[in-house]
Amino acid sequence: MIASITEVKVGDQLGPLELFVSKDQCRGYARACGIEAPRFTDDEGALREGLPGMILPGNMSLGLITRLITDWIGSGPARLARIGSTYRVPVQPDHTLTIHGFVTHLHPDSRTAEIDVWMENEDGDRLVTGAATVEFKV
Amino acid sequence: MAVEYDPALINRVFETTDPVEVTADEIRSFCAAIGEANPLYTDPDAAKKGPNGGIVAPPSFAVTFRNGRHFFENVPRFGTRGFDAGKDIEFAAPIRPGDKITLSSHVKEIYEKTGRTGTMVFVVIRSTLNNQHGEVVAHIDHRFMNRT
Repeated sequence: MIASITEVKVGDQLGPLELFVSKDQCRGYARACGIEAPRFTDDEGALREGLPGMILPGNMSLGLITRLITDWIGSGPARLARIGSTYRVPVQPDHTLTIHGFVTHLHPDSRTAEIDVWMENEDGDRLVTGAATVEFKV
Repeated sequence: MAVEYDPALINRVFETTDPVEVTADEIRSFCAAIGEANPLYTDPDAAKKGPNGGIVAPPSFAVTFRNGRHFFENVPRFGTRGFDAGKDIEFAAPIRPGDKITLSSHVKEIYEKTGRTGTMVFVVIRSTLNNQHGEVVAHIDHRFMNRT
């Protein structure tokens, strides 16, 4: 747990967080969020839409990259103030996904840290990229 | 050539949804779906001692609220069918079990970008989430991309 922004340095790494995301987990996310589009629940539905197979909802990828940041914050005196994400390439389940991040800027006056975050597949392709702002209380 | 659209589209709120009540079960299912184990979101006792004084939803839960019935028909189309290119979210207040969340949406901006694969038009729809106390919970910018 980070007790204060004074403990954070530019270049500090977050994670990496390595996850195997199964098709069942993907279906579970779709169910939990009331998403019914077949591309998120079965390969046949995805193929009919011209996709190579089932894909993760973009919002699920956003949820996973956000986890890297909330894991880093833990129960410390900080909060995620903003996150921006770009879904660059469809993310397929039944793959190992690795989420990386590092601190790019610190703003002591506003007690905020800027973080770059991205999700890679096994080949090192960046599938989802993002940038976040974490606001510290102390 | 710059993309052409009716400027009256911009900033006009086209939809405000009915309030949706958040349940503890929904937060639990969401945490399970993304593998979230942070006690601030999953353990009522630990969360009570934490900065929010109780369970709150993980930040990305904010994107799970269904857009209104007229949301997609108000996303202007340019060329091919648009797809979700990403989201930008500003978090203002935590979402708690029992909160009743309303979404108001408007077209924030439309812009064109040319890359290696051709010209793309981006439509950004901003949804503002409010809770039952009238507090803003989050602003979500949904970025849709069309190929011309």
